[in-house]
Amino acid sequence: MSEQVVNGLESGSWYALMALALVLVMRATNVPNFAMAEMGLFGAFMLWTLMDAGIPYFIAIPIALLCGALLAVVLERVLIRPLLSESEFAGVLMTIGIFVGLNALTQLFWGSQPREVDSPFTASWDVFGTRVTANQLVSLGLAIAVTYALARYFRSPGGVRMRAVAEDRVTPRLVGVSVSWVFRTAWAVAGVIATLAMVLQGQSTLLTDQNAGSMVLKGFVAATVGGFTSVWGALAAGLGLGVIENLAGYWISTSARPAVALLVVLLVLLLRPQGLFGTVRTREV
Amino acid sequence: MLRDIKALTVVKALAVTAVVMVLLTLPSLVNPYRLFLVSLVAVYMVAGLGLTIIMGWTGQVVLAQAAFFGMGAYLTAYWHEWMPWPLAAALACLAAAAAGAVIGFPAVRLHGFYLAIATLAFSELVRRGFVELDSITGGIAGTDVEPVQFGGLDVAASQWYLALSVAAFALLVAWRIRVTSLGRCLLAVRDAEVATASVSISAARYKLVAFALSAAMGALAGAVYGQLQAYLTPEIFGVGLLIQFLVVAFVGGVTFLLGPLLGAIFVVVARELLQDLGAGQRLAYAIALILVVRFLPSGLAGLPALWRRFRTRRSAAAPSAPAAGEQPALASSGGDA
Repeated sequence: MSEQVVNGLESGSWYALMALALVLVMRATNVPNFAMAEMGLFGAFMLWTLMDAGIPYFIAIPIALLCGALLAVVLERVLIRPLLSESEFAGVLMTIGIFVGLNALTQLFWGSQPREVDSPFTASWDVFGTRVTANQLVSLGLAIAVTYALARYFRSPGGVRMRAVAEDRVTPRLVGVSVSWVFRTAWAVAGVIATLAMVLQGQSTLLTDQNAGSMVLKGFVAATVGGFTSVWGALAAGLGLGVIENLAGYWISTSARPAVALLVVLLVLLLRPQGLFGTVRTREV
Repeated sequence: MLRDIKALTVVKALAVTAVVMVLLTLPSLVNPYRLFLVSLVAVYMVAGLGLTIIMGWTGQVVLAQAAFFGMGAYLTAYWHEWMPWPLAAALACLAAAAAGAVIGFPAVRLHGFYLAIATLAFSELVRRGFVELDSITGGIAGTDVEPVQFGGLDVAASQWYLALSVAAFALLVAWRIRVTSLGRCLLAVRDAEVATASVSISAARYKLVAFALSAAMGALAGAVYGQLQAYLTPEIFGVGLLIQFLVVAFVGGVTFLLGPLLGAIFVVVARELLQDLGAGQRLAYAIALILVVRFLPSGLAGLPALWRRFRTRRSAAAPSAPAAGEQPALASSGGDA
């Protein structure tokens, strides 16, 4: 059972990272980005391509992260920003369209067969009878580090500007906040975080074009449960979701696993719409 | 002028009669495969009309249409073993409407993205249910659908008349909703939810009604889809189908009554042209969705209005620049208006 918890914490850290990317984009631009995991998957496949061409892991990783960030920035500039004056309907539909399009392109470029990523984190240890791998430690460590960095950032002047722009796009301009700078930064950083999540998942399991669909759903579940306003909430919710999912697979049946996240988000939304850790934001009239 | 209007009415009536004649005699005009495709257009249109009601008119981001569609398909096929098809389909619609109200009841408090994620989760849970309830659905392996056959007609023709009558019924229902006070209340909930309470319109109640109607419409489409498909498996009703429905509703024009028809034609034609490429087909849907959201928010059905505005702008601009070249264009555009 402790094995299940450790495995759950590992997949939970990917969900947490995905949730953080979604929270960041939501906080800055107020767009629920259904294409977030697909953007990260593009970066992960770039890593595979670079390594396939013989480039070592630690040189390929920064390039892959940069690719994820670039894709996010370009898509934001070309497709998302023109819509920001419109209803949230448009944002939801546009990111769903990007999600489907990127998924189709990934399949066209890289095919459907699973790819293996040779990560250098192959060590594993025996801790009180439970196997712990280096991949798991790296995933968990990165999730905590990114959460800490984001929490720090949101309190820094840049982060405050970002939150101000999410609340109201007009007034911050009057005091000299560049809205386009905020948008670009948020999407670029989110692209990096999403790529990180997809790379960690890809090197621990296998890299396929199917990875992103369930990942973005889990990320949304974690972000929603955590409350879209809290980064630590997103981390806790992501880790919790991973553990619960693994325990449900262990105790009930493996077919119950996919239903857990769905049930959790449905219950949380119906009982406490602002999420477990979120604060209520009053709606504009 | 008056004679012009009369002539136009006659032309319109003739056109409608011609279309109806073609639709009624279609089985003798095209081969069974083409007939299947046209029946599919009818099915997609009905599912899209459900989205028109809840997303277009009521303004709620609901991503559960594939689940209601699946409920309609499975339940109709299941109940059809004991009762005539129309009764089974009606019961399935009622069941889906009840499910729509059940998910709608707590969901009326949610807005925008939160509603989207809640209904998406609900939809995927229902699909898990299709896998688990194997006494009704046959589980992962799937289930047969007993074909409905009208006396003297072959299977394809029976399917077509079934799809045609269901589509006509659904269009009639949607049109009635739109032109009566119910439709106006739904629009009021969409455009001024906060103000509705002050004129004694219960936004929550109308949202619930829209949820139920939209779910029933989805189930009705699913009931006919079961007939067309002849075999149902849970993976049919996943996110891929939802995307197709979104394309039907939004590429056609989500607030227009005939939008889903245009969208359904687009989806089926794209599916036909890009048959062998699963990824190519999805890419086409994605590009269509992106382009429509970006450049044509009112969809294909909004094109005539856009064109009219473009022409008025041109004719309004013309007097200030009465160049010789402009004159004939202006005259001809005035002539056929």
